[in-house]
Order: sequence, then C-alpha cells, then structure tokens
Amino acid sequence: MAILDMDGEDGPKFIPDPLKIPKLACDSMADSAPYPAYPEHNMKLGFPGELLDNWQEVAIAKIGDLASKNRAFQVYLDACVKCGACTDKCHYFLGSGDPKNMPVARQDLLRSVYRRYYTFAGKYFPWLVGARDLTREVLDEWYSYYHQCSQCRRCSVFCPYGIDTAEISMAAREIMDTVGIGQKYCNEIIGKALEIGNNLGLQEKALRATLEDLEEDIEDETGVSVRIPVDEKGADILLITPSADFFAEPHIDGLIGYAKVFHQAGVSWTVSSYASEAANFGLFIGSYENMRDLALRIRRAAEDLGVKRIVFGECGHAWRVAYSFLNTLAGPFDFLDQNYPIPQHILEFTWDQIERGNLKFDKTKNDHLRLTYHDSCNVARGSRMGDKPGGQFEIPRNVIKAVCNNYFEMDRDTTKESTLCCGGGGGLLTDDLMDIRVKGASPRMTALQQVTQDHGVTHMAAICAICKTQFAKVMPKFGYERDSILSVHQLVSNAILLDGQITDDAPVPELEMANEEGTS
Amino acid sequence: MSTLYALLFYFATIMLVVGLGLRIAKYARTPAPLKIPTMPAPTTRSGVFWRMSREVLVFESLFKSNKWIWVFGYMFHVGLALVLLRHFRYFIEPIWFWVNWVQPFGIYASFALLIGLLGLLVRRIVVERIRYISSPSDYLMLLLLIGIALSGMNMKFLAPTDIVAVKVFFLGLLRLQINELPTSASLLVHLGLVATLMIIFPISKLLHGPGIFFSPTRYQVDNSREKRHLAPWAAELEK
Amino acid sequence: MSYEVNGATIEHDEEGYITTLSDWTKDLADVIAKAEEVDMNSEHWEVVNFLRDYYEEYQIAPAVRVLIKAVKKSMGPEKGNNKYMYELFPYGPAKQACKIAGLPKPTGCV
Repeated sequence: MAILDMDGEDGPKFIPDPLKIPKLACDSMADSAPYPAYPEHNMKLGFPGELLDNWQEVAIAKIGDLASKNRAFQVYLDACVKCGACTDKCHYFLGSGDPKNMPVARQDLLRSVYRRYYTFAGKYFPWLVGARDLTREVLDEWYSYYHQCSQCRRCSVFCPYGIDTAEISMAAREIMDTVGIGQKYCNEIIGKALEIGNNLGLQEKALRATLEDLEEDIEDETGVSVRIPVDEKGADILLITPSADFFAEPHIDGLIGYAKVFHQAGVSWTVSSYASEAANFGLFIGSYENMRDLALRIRRAAEDLGVKRIVFGECGHAWRVAYSFLNTLAGPFDFLDQNYPIPQHILEFTWDQIERGNLKFDKTKNDHLRLTYHDSCNVARGSRMGDKPGGQFEIPRNVIKAVCNNYFEMDRDTTKESTLCCGGGGGLLTDDLMDIRVKGASPRMTALQQVTQDHGVTHMAAICAICKTQFAKVMPKFGYERDSILSVHQLVSNAILLDGQITDDAPVPELEMANEEGTS
Repeated sequence: MSTLYALLFYFATIMLVVGLGLRIAKYARTPAPLKIPTMPAPTTRSGVFWRMSREVLVFESLFKSNKWIWVFGYMFHVGLALVLLRHFRYFIEPIWFWVNWVQPFGIYASFALLIGLLGLLVRRIVVERIRYISSPSDYLMLLLLIGIALSGMNMKFLAPTDIVAVKVFFLGLLRLQINELPTSASLLVHLGLVATLMIIFPISKLLHGPGIFFSPTRYQVDNSREKRHLAPWAAELEK
Repeated sequence: MSYEVNGATIEHDEEGYITTLSDWTKDLADVIAKAEEVDMNSEHWEVVNFLRDYYEEYQIAPAVRVLIKAVKKSMGPEKGNNKYMYELFPYGPAKQACKIAGLPKPTGCV
C-alpha cells in the first residue's frame, strides 16, 4: 500500500512503500538461470567438470555430509515451523512476486529433499510434510532459485530462530558444484583469483601501470605526489581491496581516497600483486576449501611483504569474510602488530585518523551532492567495525558526515540491520541475471526515490564493489544517472586537504576540522 | 483401556525423552565451521545470554518481523507454558506451592492458548503467502494442538472428569503401577492427542524448541577478530 | 554460437565474446558491432584500437578511467568522459567495447 503523506510540500501525496508486498506471481522467475560453468571452470576448483552419472546419489550423500559438518545447516533444516515471518523480507520476492523467492520457500526447495531422504516423516509420509524425490526437475529448480539469493541475510534478522537462508543457499550451491553443475560467473572468477590473484585477471604489469596512472592523476589534481605502492617490502600496512577498485567506476575514485588518507596519515603501505583481491567468491559457492585457499593468499602476501597490519578496502562480502572468517581460515595472525584490529577496515582506519584530528577537510567540496548511504548487506549483517556492536553502521556515517554537509537517511526499515541488498550480491552480478538484478534492486530504489522526493537526495554512497557496480548499472532504469552511486572514500577524496595541496579557488576556503559535529 | 493408555504413555515418554535427547546430542556434536552471528551481535557470552533470553521469552525477532504472528504465537506459547505448569498438580503430591499459585492463571491461559492457535490457523488459511508454504502437516499440527486444548477445556468447564482418579492414574504410572483411568471421552481424546504430540515431537518441526539454542546466528559471540574459531574437521585441513 | 565473417565461422560464448582471441579481424568487429546495434564510426574505432593495443601490452582491458584519459588526449575533453563513452557504447565501454574489440569479458565485481 502506498502511504499517504499529509505534510508533503505540495499538499498530500502518496509515497510508494519500498517494502510493499506484491501479489504472488507463481513461477514467474522460473526461467531465470545463470550460464553454467564450463568443465574447465569446475575442475580448477576441484569439482567434476560435468554432471555426474550418479549425481542423485552423490547429491543426497552430500546433504548428509554437510549436515554433519555444519550445525547451522542441520538445525535450519529441522527448525523451521513455516510461521511465515520471513515471507515478505527478501528483496527478490518483493521485486518479483515469485513465491519461491520467499526465504522459507527457497529453503524448502532443499528441505523437501532433505526430508525425503533423512527424516522419518519424509521417508514414510512424504505427502504429509511436503517431501519430494531429488529429480532432474528439482535440480534445475535449485539451479534457478539458489541463484536468485544474494545471501544477504535479511531473512535471518527476522526469523524467530535465526534461520539464515544464506547458509542453505551456499550449501545448495556446494551440492550442485559437487555433482558437476557450477555457475560460470562464480567458478570462472574463483579460478582466476586462485591462478592470478584477483577476480579480474589483472597481471602485475597491468596493475603497476594502472596505479602509476592514478598517481599521475592525483598529482595533476592536487599538486601533491601521493604514492600507490605495489609489493613494497617492509611497508607497515598491506591494503587488500577488491580488484574492481583498480578498474571500475566509481570504485577507482574510492581507491584514490584510500591513497590520500594513507598519505596524509603518514603511514607506509602497499598493495600486493599476489593477493590483489579482497572479494572472496568461495563464500558465494559455500566452499570452505576454496574460500580458505583464497584467504591463504592474503596471509602469504602479508608474510612475504613483512607488513605489520592488514587493511581491507570497501567491499561487502570481502569484509564479511575478512572480519568474521579470516582468523578462522588463515589465522592465527600472530606475526602482525597486535595493537591494531586484524584485519582492519579502511573506514575504521580513516575514522580513527579523523578522530585524532590528523585529517583536514573542505566539506564544501561535496556541496554539489545531496547524499544518502546504502548499508551493504554483508557489512551490516555479517561483520562489524570498531569496538561496539553496530559500529558498522555508525563509522561509515561518521566519516560521511565529516566530509559532507548534506546527508539524509533512508526509511529506517531499509537501513542498518534491516538494509536491503543492492540486488547483485552473492554471485548474481552477472549480465545473464539482469532481470532478477533489476527486480531485486527495486525495493532499495523505491527507498531512494522517497528521500529524493522528501529531501532532494541526488546521490547514494556505498562501501561495496558489488553494490557500486550493480547500482551504476540499474540506477538508470529508476531515473537516476549512472554516476549517482559513489564510493564513501570518493567523498573523502573530494574533501580532503593534503599538506601542500594546491587549491583552485582563492581565497582559501574556511577549513572545518573533521572531528566537529557533522550535519544530518 | 487403562493398560492401553498406560503403555501408550510409557511409549510416548520414551520416544520424547530418547528422541529429543538423540537430536540434541546430534546438534551439540555437529560443529559450526564459521562464525555467523547475525550482526549486530553481542561481543560477550553474557550479552549472548541476554539476546537468547529475549528471543525465548519475548520472541524479539518475530516481534520485529510481523506483529500478527507475534501476537498469536505469543498468546499460544505463554498460554501453553502456564497450562503446562498448572498440569504439574496431576503428577506431584504434595503440590508445590508455586503450582497452586499458577493455578488460576492456568485456567485463563487456556483461552489465550486457544485464541492463539485459532489465529495462527486462520492466518495459515487466509494469508496467501503462508498458505503457499504450508504442508498438510502444518495444518494437522495446529489441529492437534487445538484438539488438545478443546478436550482439556471441555473437561475443565463443561463436562468435568474424575480428576482425582486421573491423578491417581498418573502417580501410579510414576511408580510403575497401573491404576484405573476414568473413561470420559474428553479425557481419552485429550490424553491420546497429548501422547501423539509427545511421540512426534522429536521428528517434527517442534524441534524449533531445542533448535533455537543451537542456532549459530543467535548463540554465537561476535569476537572473531579476537578469538580464533576452528572446527575440528577444518583443523584437519591445516595439517 | 558463432559469427559468420567472409565465409568463416568464428565461435563465441553465450554472451557474444569470441572464444579464440586471434580470430579477431576488423571485419569481425563490424559483424559483432552490428549484432550489438552499434554503428561503428571513426571514434568507435579509436576506442577499439586503443583497447587492442592496451590488451596487447597488458593482457587485460584498461580501467575505464585509463581509457577515458587516453580518449581525452586524442579526441579532446568534450569526448574524453564517461558519458560520451556510454553514448558510443551504450552497454558500457568496459564490456561492449571489449566485445567488439575481441577481448575477453572483464570479470569480477565490475
């Protein structure tokens, strides 16, 4: 239902509700399926190249194997009471109306098979509990609908038992990989990252050339020589950032922001050509082994370069893996400086510098923007920043408010722990899934349209490579320019005043100390 | 009839205790390979205790999610808890003081329980999304509970049974004796349905009861940067 | 899945990227562009040629920023910007231009 706003500037008006529940459109997304991986993609990851002859047997055994290795998977298969609390919480359901995109229904695609082979009721009274055989049709349905889940965990916030559909969809993808049905986008990328060190396939020579180019740009713009070092042994900080930061817009502007902050903070830092990727796609396919292999590259790079600290750039799923899993997958990190968080987020670093008063900003440099902030799902619900729960919400906002004058919040039911996924997370950021990506983005876009209507918001900032690419792609379909999505460190980069920086406008603008109260 | 019901209750009790025990042991034994608390999460064990208490005592997440389901679900569960406490009087002699204290609430609670169940059933039928995800067992479970509630309330309010004899029967069972059970229809239906519920508990979605305590998104502490978490099978990979 | 060029059959993947990079010819670029509904003019060719030269040296497509800087140098600031690149290649300079230039698709969160 549209909400009637009685206090609108031009009289009462209807505001669309970003969380409006659609009419059910059964099987409307049944034809959505990503391109399957080629045999060589699967085999590089240790999976069979093509669908096994005895795939049913292997898949059923794998369900049991995962249930014995992962408590969450086992408990979540058993505990659901079908209360319906999650049914209106998935952005893909809200955008598509396909009931199989309701979290519980998505879980049931696999739960029904688990029940058939692993529970008393399902073995002897399948019709009673909705249990079903694992057939080729079921496998195809898994492939379609488990690639319509971005593993954003919004449903897990609202489930009375904390059932996390991401756990089920990761398990489902691992089962499919195990029988030889992989997704091209994820598996090709993991293969590249394992071989070359990043998801793009960017070799050292190209990385160096790109970063030198950026150094030139920064010097042209500011008159200050800001370095972006590669493989510099003995640097204090190893920066691990998504390779999109070396390639895409607006990501690369964020990278320039990190470089300026490190420069002004006076720390020595480096990126690694061996571990030049933050985003760990092993997470998306639920493969602990692949996720671990990718994470170990970061450990090896840190050891080889002799750094004291690891800092992660703006990347959502990467930060979940870094914050929540890195210690598990590649720890213990006893060779790093224990006085700093291991690993640390670039926003934790920047906010700390701001609090110490080490950074100066000219906030008016961002006055052409009226901003809101999109909490990236995996940062919001899969990680933390700072010392206190909820720091992942406060610190990015603190930094934005320190560098911008015009900041506005979106509907509280769509921010912080209730944030909506951008629609492209979890291995869905591929052109062959554009339809579901646009549908999944629509709740967030509606929330954005609300603040555009109410506060004249023009731009949205985010801290995730996927969010940035996804929004740059889909925003034009919702009436925004492609460049209406910004990196948070792009805002920092706009406003930061480097020592010795040439300013184009005289007289020198009145400086505002960053640790003063920001506006909201 | 008394012997039949006596055997039924011994069987149901064994199924409930053993079945539930095995299931809980399975949950406890299964490792959680990664730290996956739904954030923001408490950073200490005592914080987790509070989070879990809020989930179990006031259904915090459900409240955030859907007020109607919360209202009906909460009425049902609190009503059931009070009614169960009240039923202690049929199994103990002398009766603990607090069971007497609960006694009057237990009677009103039966209405809350019934209204909650009916509300949940109506929603399951009327709300399109919930109807879509419902299997026959989901309806039958509610009908089973409604049957238990109605037969119990019938004995309390309309057609009282010989409650003293019932108590003698159950006290007897506890001492491995079979005494005479009154043969009122309501009582037999009530007890039969309760035994059914006990038997299916460990093999049905009623496992959400113990399940919530083993839900990593709720019980895990947010301290992964400070404390290394490693599952035994994952540790094997490091060798 | 293939393009037909001068009687030759050139294999491509599901999305139209050629599978053997050495198969590329200017005639093929025209065929791919036609399939993409891009009308190739000298400015398109400038971008395509730059992409191919860059790929030759670095085995990857350049960052969009690097491409735009190069275009700015050769075509001037009014064309050396993101907006103009999207006018030339509506589906994005990184993906669509790469496809026409016979380069592999950039992968990852891009």
